Amino acid sequence: MKDSNPNTQTAALTCHNLVVGYTDKPVISNVNISFKTGQFISLLGPNGAGKTTLLHTLSRHQAPLAGSIQLGRQSLEQLRQADLAKVMAVVLTDKITPPLFTAFQFVALGRYPHTGFLGRLTDIDKDVVQSALTAVHADDLGHRDFAELSDGERQKVLVARALAQEPKILLLDEPTAHLDLKHRLEVMAILRNLCRDKGITVIASLHDVDIAAKVSDRVALVKNGAITAWGSPEQILTSETVADLYDFRTACFSHHLGSIEIRSERYRGRAFVVAGMGKGASIYRMLAKRGYGISTGMLLSNDLDCYVAAGLGAKCVSQPPGSAFTEESRTLALREMEASDMVIEANYQTTGPYQENQDLIRRAAKMGKPVFSFRTASGRNETDGIIAVADSNKLFNAMEVHCP
Amino acid sequence: MNQSPQVPTSIPYGLQRPLSLFAILFLVVLTMMVVNICTGSVTVSLSQLFHLIIRPDNTTESFILWKIRLPRALAGLLCGGYLAVSGLLLQVYFRNPVVGPFILGISSGATLMVSLVMLTSLTMQLHIITPFTVTLAAMAGACIVMTIVVAIASRVKNGITLLIIGLMMGYLCHAVTSVLTALAEKEQVKGFVLWQLGSFSGFKWDEISLLLLVGGLLLMIVFLLAKPLNGFLLGEEYAKSMGINIRLFRMLILFLACSLAGMITAMAGPVAFIGLAIPHMARMIFSTSDNRILIPGAFLLGALVASGCDFIARSLLSPVELPLSAITAFFGAPVVISLLMKKRVQL
Repeated sequence: MKDSNPNTQTAALTCHNLVVGYTDKPVISNVNISFKTGQFISLLGPNGAGKTTLLHTLSRHQAPLAGSIQLGRQSLEQLRQADLAKVMAVVLTDKITPPLFTAFQFVALGRYPHTGFLGRLTDIDKDVVQSALTAVHADDLGHRDFAELSDGERQKVLVARALAQEPKILLLDEPTAHLDLKHRLEVMAILRNLCRDKGITVIASLHDVDIAAKVSDRVALVKNGAITAWGSPEQILTSETVADLYDFRTACFSHHLGSIEIRSERYRGRAFVVAGMGKGASIYRMLAKRGYGISTGMLLSNDLDCYVAAGLGAKCVSQPPGSAFTEESRTLALREMEASDMVIEANYQTTGPYQENQDLIRRAAKMGKPVFSFRTASGRNETDGIIAVADSNKLFNAMEVHCP
Repeated sequence: MNQSPQVPTSIPYGLQRPLSLFAILFLVVLTMMVVNICTGSVTVSLSQLFHLIIRPDNTTESFILWKIRLPRALAGLLCGGYLAVSGLLLQVYFRNPVVGPFILGISSGATLMVSLVMLTSLTMQLHIITPFTVTLAAMAGACIVMTIVVAIASRVKNGITLLIIGLMMGYLCHAVTSVLTALAEKEQVKGFVLWQLGSFSGFKWDEISLLLLVGGLLLMIVFLLAKPLNGFLLGEEYAKSMGINIRLFRMLILFLACSLAGMITAMAGPVAFIGLAIPHMARMIFSTSDNRILIPGAFLLGALVASGCDFIARSLLSPVELPLSAITAFFGAPVVISLLMKKRVQL
């Protein structure tokens, strides 16, 4: 296993006061970052922020406007192109479909910097190509026609081609764009393994913040012509920074859940959800999707429902675990319930800490609010003023009827 | 993961298939050459041919063989081969299947310069228009057009834009040429029009040696560039990331393609379609994009097709000789269309 303490690792690429961009238009200024060997580094930011320009400058496809880049101990600028090719490989967004190549032959093109004058493959070269295909789980694609591969398969083979160069640094421009979920996750897992098993430094521009948060050792946030934040995703990717990065208004990156929640813009009324122990999470999301405002309570602040509700911007009456619900919590929950147009009861455990919430349901029914309950097994019936719903479809049908 | 059975690769990593194909092609080219040498107004038998090759004598047959048939057959062979390689280079460089020396205006540039030499009195001081004057003029024309195209290419990244610019250059050259034609004297025009139709007749041994030496040298260089050419199949950015000196090879590729096409156009006139159609045929026949195989493959195929077209041109309505470009177009256009329809050879 690689030593994961960043302080003991050497820098693979170091940028000093780097300015990238085009002749009369700097795109990102003042980049001072040291990419450590064997780390997975993600560049995050909105379209047009300059992630690709930065990558192109790191791969020397584009000259820096100012500043310098160090590759190990050498200056990137002074390296011969052929020598650079032996330590750095790229996966670009260009759609390339050379005809009449098997995937194996295509990957073998990556041996370019290592082969002789006419590019004849030695047995060693063939082994490297084969193991590159293995590393991207594409052994079975070797004989297939490259032009006929699916987007996901092609992306894997493109990564394999880069690996055939036996690089120490791998730069990827949006490696998961246009891929289905399976291949998106597979490609990320492959890249993650390259860092871990082969000690390759992977620098990739990514769009999926949630995936980036889970695979990266370091993330750089790129916006408004600067690196706005640089560090480990655990430190950097808070809901505030992510919302700021992408100018989110209706979505929220949940730091704790590591995922994006999409908020409702509240126009169809307000629902009060009585939940707990994670039973409310999917109901909140359903309501947000349909455009309902949400409030919920009473919850203990370590409940999953609490985090999801916060991500969705719901009003959540909660308190730390360890004691019974306080009078203050009860009052707040009651007020939220009274302000709502309907009450939904999740199929939560009624014994234990959330026992008291039963009182809220009873009160709501008494007040004549529409109450929908997922707790069908509890022996309730409609005479209590509570409408039993078996699933979400039934819930929304019932809501159409009772809360027009 | 389900265990899929290992399907044997259709193209082995070795060279068995290309090698046997090369051997077959070589034999067919040789046969075509013998047919070209032996047939015509005077038929030469195989034993006669063998005899005359080894020991030339003073007979008419010997004269026809050594002064007319052999140079012509060799010219067809070499011109066809070089044009095909020139087209291959440009198709790889532009990653575009409809590129050929003609389309980028190289031939039009050559034609323009030749028209300047043949139709105007600019070279009157030289008294006689030697084959080398025409050759040099065509060479210069081709180089000028290519330089302009390359200069534009270094600014415009978009291949389609460059192609359209090449087409426009062609139109401009044609416009000047047509003005010159309108102003020229009748006798000069006829010679020029005949030159424009392309022909492998009237080749001198001087020209054949030039073709062999210069062309052979260029072809060698092209073959040595097969590896970076393969890198170019992925586009310039990937090629660069694999260690190719893009600027150097861009210039080399364009220079080589231009020189080969310019040289042929100078000596045989603008022979259409060989440079466009043959690379596609080669890709199809050898079912590979590997330029190490395609360069010799396209050369042999080009040699074969050009020889064959020349044979048809002079024997179909014998003794009237048909324009060579007409035959190559009749042959080439359907081939290109059918190949592209099958989508097998898209670059």
